[in-house]
Amino acid sequence: MQQDRHADQAVPPQLLVIEDEDNIALALEIVLESAGYRQERIAEGTGALERIRALRPDLVLLDVMLPGASGYDICQSARLDPDLASIPILMMTARGSAIERRKGLAMGANGFIAKPFDISELKAEISRLLSGPQTLGAGEPQG
Amino acid sequence: MNGLSALSLRLRIFLFFAALAAGAVGALFTGLWLAYHRLADPALLDPFVQGGLVAGFAILGLLAWVWYLFDTNVAKPIETLAGALRARAHADGAGEMDASIARYLGDLAPAARAAARRLDETQSALAMAVARETTRLAEEKSRLEALLADVPVAVLLCGPLHDIVFYNGQTLQLLGISATDQAHAPGLDRTLFDTLRDGPIRMAHARLLALDDPDAATDFLCTTRDGARLLSARMRLLGRSASQASYVLTLRDVSAESTRHASREAFLDEVFDRMRRPAAALLTLAEALPIEGPKAGNPNTVPRLLTAMRAEANGLAQSVTELATRRDQARVTAWPLPLTRAQDLSESLHARFAEQGLRLTADAPDLFLRLNAFEIVDLLSGLAQCVAHDTQATSFRLEITEENGGATLRLIWSGAPCPMARLDAALDDPPATNGGIALTGRAILAAHRTDIWPETRGTDSAFVLPILRIRHATRRPAPLPRAVTYDFDLLARDRTASLSAADAAAPLETLTYVVFDTETTGLLPEQGDEIVQIAAVRIVNGRRVAGEVLDMLVNPGRKIPLASTDVHGISDAMVQNAAPVADALRRFHRFAEGAVLVAHNAPFDMTFLKRREAELGLTFDHPVLDTVLLSAVIYGQHEVHSLDALSHRLGITIPEELRHTALGDTEATADAFLRLMAMLKGRGITTFAQTLTEVRKHSRLLRDLN
Repeated sequence: MQQDRHADQAVPPQLLVIEDEDNIALALEIVLESAGYRQERIAEGTGALERIRALRPDLVLLDVMLPGASGYDICQSARLDPDLASIPILMMTARGSAIERRKGLAMGANGFIAKPFDISELKAEISRLLSGPQTLGAGEPQG
Repeated sequence: MNGLSALSLRLRIFLFFAALAAGAVGALFTGLWLAYHRLADPALLDPFVQGGLVAGFAILGLLAWVWYLFDTNVAKPIETLAGALRARAHADGAGEMDASIARYLGDLAPAARAAARRLDETQSALAMAVARETTRLAEEKSRLEALLADVPVAVLLCGPLHDIVFYNGQTLQLLGISATDQAHAPGLDRTLFDTLRDGPIRMAHARLLALDDPDAATDFLCTTRDGARLLSARMRLLGRSASQASYVLTLRDVSAESTRHASREAFLDEVFDRMRRPAAALLTLAEALPIEGPKAGNPNTVPRLLTAMRAEANGLAQSVTELATRRDQARVTAWPLPLTRAQDLSESLHARFAEQGLRLTADAPDLFLRLNAFEIVDLLSGLAQCVAHDTQATSFRLEITEENGGATLRLIWSGAPCPMARLDAALDDPPATNGGIALTGRAILAAHRTDIWPETRGTDSAFVLPILRIRHATRRPAPLPRAVTYDFDLLARDRTASLSAADAAAPLETLTYVVFDTETTGLLPEQGDEIVQIAAVRIVNGRRVAGEVLDMLVNPGRKIPLASTDVHGISDAMVQNAAPVADALRRFHRFAEGAVLVAHNAPFDMTFLKRREAELGLTFDHPVLDTVLLSAVIYGQHEVHSLDALSHRLGITIPEELRHTALGDTEATADAFLRLMAMLKGRGITTFAQTLTEVRKHSRLLRDLN
């Protein structure tokens, strides 16, 4: 809830949700808004990188299985772009297996959450990533 | 004339000359006598007698001389020549014939010599041809044996009455029979049902016979006799006609498979069970939820419904996560990928890279990786080609590192990393293989339950490929039994009825024999001496079955006197963990089922068996043959009939280290028995009954046990 207060006082952090499943996106939208975040959703991998570049969100919630380009692809491309390298990425993996984690980590993801996830776990992970060293970069859009 | 022709040539010639002489002398005296009568002058008697005597002796002398010359130079050489020719006809390797003996026989000797030489040549050519063909057949046979020994399924061949004619080493392996445990093993000429339960096999056999189709095969499940293993079997009849109901049986152990199948079924049942209930609850709760906001009524309705839905969903999510984890673990331990030596993988990869004009260096630890090398080589070489195309890199390094229970392969190059999109595209393209099925990289990864991704390390880039299961290189795996055991002559044997061991009219070589020997604590069973070692071999169809040997130490349950240890070399310490006498005899009884027992000095060994009968609930009422008595039949009672003496007479050697071990003596007895059996046959003693009759004539020597 500390995060919520922080959001109330200043501009609330901007989140980008890249998720193709409509129902999960709907739930995320409601949960994230009620938690005081600004959020935007795109439903496919194609063009995701351009949207990150344009929006410069404080955090990206990235699904692995996407039509167009895979979540790993988007993650790697973001990390290879010096402008985007510092934006924290929370990957939503299908199964949370050790190999998926290793692959995501190698691609530059900052956190993982396996579907189906627990909302409170998701919120905890989001606030961890926003308060980490990457939050320095998160202020930039306002600066 | 017939009477004469039986006499030797020389004697006949002698008789001929004798007759000639008698005739000539007779004619002379008759002539003289007639002349004397005509003259009728008694004064002339003396001159006539004198003249007659002189002429008679002269004729006799002349004829004797001619006979002598004829005998020496014609008759004797002809007989010698005939003997030499006969020797040549019956034996080979006789030396050159002596030409001088027949020098007065004109061309006969040279002609005979030429004929003999020709015979020699033909004989040795024939012998060489036979030897060549025998060698070829023996080589072919050993190749076929090797092939059959390496077929990775158990193969058995059985006669129409389910008696075993052939089995390979895998059969022993499959049935879990160790080399020492012969009592439960399949045996030549034994019923298959000692090993496998009969029901399914009889049914399959009847099914095939009813089909009357020589090419038909039937698949079925059967179990070992103790029910410990479930086997998948295929049966096919061997003969072309239904009356030849011998068959080939191949067996595969499916115990593990069926356990795996059962556990997969149970797992699926659990999955559906744990999904169905919360799914149904969620649907019911969702339908109970008013869509257009709470209507009049209990204001707590919506929060209560939502709480319930959340609880259900939570449970469902937890179930999915837990089940998925369990599934992954089960897959990791039970999928059929071969173990590949890391060194072999890096070498085949090196070769493939070289074909593509790329260089690969590798350092491979001494590990076995569970992977399909051909597929992984396809995958990595395909990706290396992409990299070479994109970055101009031509030199790669393969790194294999052990990591938390698995290993990680890294294909490293110097240059830019591979973009994920490029990797994804490459994984969806089937790699260009050298023929065969081209799998996509994605399919290969799925089969290995792994994934691949790019990595950057300083200025180097890499592909990372985790391999989930590995094994450290350990000592050599246990050798598989390679032998095949067979006697196809058993199939040709007339077995309309099962041949019982006591079948007295049966020819000796058609019976099955178990030759055995025991070593004991002493020579006095009635004073508590016991068996310390027992060995037995089987003789089926007149041949020793090499693979079917019983050889075990026995714990006598008492101290072994030093004097006995000195004889057989078996000490108390050696039998400490050996089977007790009762167990050993039970195993021996099974081994000897349906066979004639053969021993050297059988009464001694039989005493040790018989006195345990009541305790074991078994009877050793087998027909018994004793090689001591058989030796007496052949060589007479005056000879020495010890095993050493008998072996020596028959040219059998017992290796010194095996002398006075149960197995060494058993093998010597078995070899002696086989030779004695052949000699009995030579004397016209061919059946068991005839043998017993002969043996009983020597019963003063030893007690007959039949």
